[in-house]
Amino acid sequence: MPVDDVVLAANGDASAFERVYHAHVPRVHGLARRMAGPDAADELTQDVFVRAWQKLGTFRGESSFGTWLHRLAVNVIVERFRTLGVARDRFLSDSESALEVATAPPRSRPDLGMDLQAAIERLPPGARTIFVLHDVEGYRHEEIAGMLGVSAGTSKSQLHRARQTLRRTLNATTKRAADRPQMAQTRTGPQIGQR
Amino acid sequence: MDTDKVRDEIQGRGPADDDPLDRQDDLLLAIGALADAPPERNLWPGIEARLDRRSATSRSFTFSLPQLAMAATLLIAVSAGVSWLALRPGPASPASTGPSIRAVAEPTDAVQGDVQRATFADAEYDAAVADLEQVLREGRETLNPQTVMVLERNLAAIDEAIRQSRAALDADPANTYLNTHLADARRRKLELLRQAAMLSSGS
Repeated sequence: MPVDDVVLAANGDASAFERVYHAHVPRVHGLARRMAGPDAADELTQDVFVRAWQKLGTFRGESSFGTWLHRLAVNVIVERFRTLGVARDRFLSDSESALEVATAPPRSRPDLGMDLQAAIERLPPGARTIFVLHDVEGYRHEEIAGMLGVSAGTSKSQLHRARQTLRRTLNATTKRAADRPQMAQTRTGPQIGQR
Repeated sequence: MDTDKVRDEIQGRGPADDDPLDRQDDLLLAIGALADAPPERNLWPGIEARLDRRSATSRSFTFSLPQLAMAATLLIAVSAGVSWLALRPGPASPASTGPSIRAVAEPTDAVQGDVQRATFADAEYDAAVADLEQVLREGRETLNPQTVMVLERNLAAIDEAIRQSRAALDADPANTYLNTHLADARRRKLELLRQAAMLSSGS
């Protein structure tokens, strides 16, 4: 996307902003989906771009526009958590039972990234948000703690639990995928023989 | 929570410190394989409907604190001066003092030698004020709330100055000084409304 589109959008050109939207929506929507879940992702994505339009005048070009937009998106999503009044509690109260439910294998998908995406969506909210911010988006625990209003220790604990849960889920998915060809081969054998 | 966990919490440590992602970790490989995809439905129409079409760079305005303080002080001074004049007894009004009062009134360039401007074209003036107030009402949501508050306070102060000037002129219609003040207050109101309307419309 030409940088000029950002400049044009900052001067009120909605067509240019639409091009900015199309260039960045996969990244923003992916972030919203991972942090807040698929049900809230569309609405949050729209909120992020409306906020970006309002704040474009403050973009100084000190970082790339993508970086600026990403940071803004994280802020909008975290702000939504706060608005809902669930922020602190949700990061402290993810129960073991919720994590156990999350280990149920996702729908079978051949792609590792898609498997992980599905597994992330099954994580309890607190563990999911912290995992995404730390391991996917690269934030440090201190930054996450500041954003979410929890201690760095809580962030680390939740990350640990999230990783364990996701590893178990991925292992289960991998095992099922490994078993599937054998089963398929068993089924297809007689069919070939019938020809 | 056991002692180790309490200690870790205080030190900002957690189990993840002993649980690094290494290069052989399937989880790390999976994170690397995560892909971003656009949403299944087009979200742009919903976004577009919520966009304020004015310039993004001029959408939100604030005055600096010194500017706000200066504006407030100026208006208080104007209002207080007019109030003082309006409350003075009629016979001792500035109209009877001739030359000394004229010397005070003359520096106002917009009304120099034209005290009648305080009373001319009221309909035009009122229409212009009404138009600008309408623009401001329509665009007030684009202004910083603090700015709106100060604008409204200042407009109220000017309106009060105008009201008091008119009341004083009712008792002393030929008073050059009061006419000058009235014209000046009306000019200030118009100018303030113009500026506010420009800010709110982003032009």
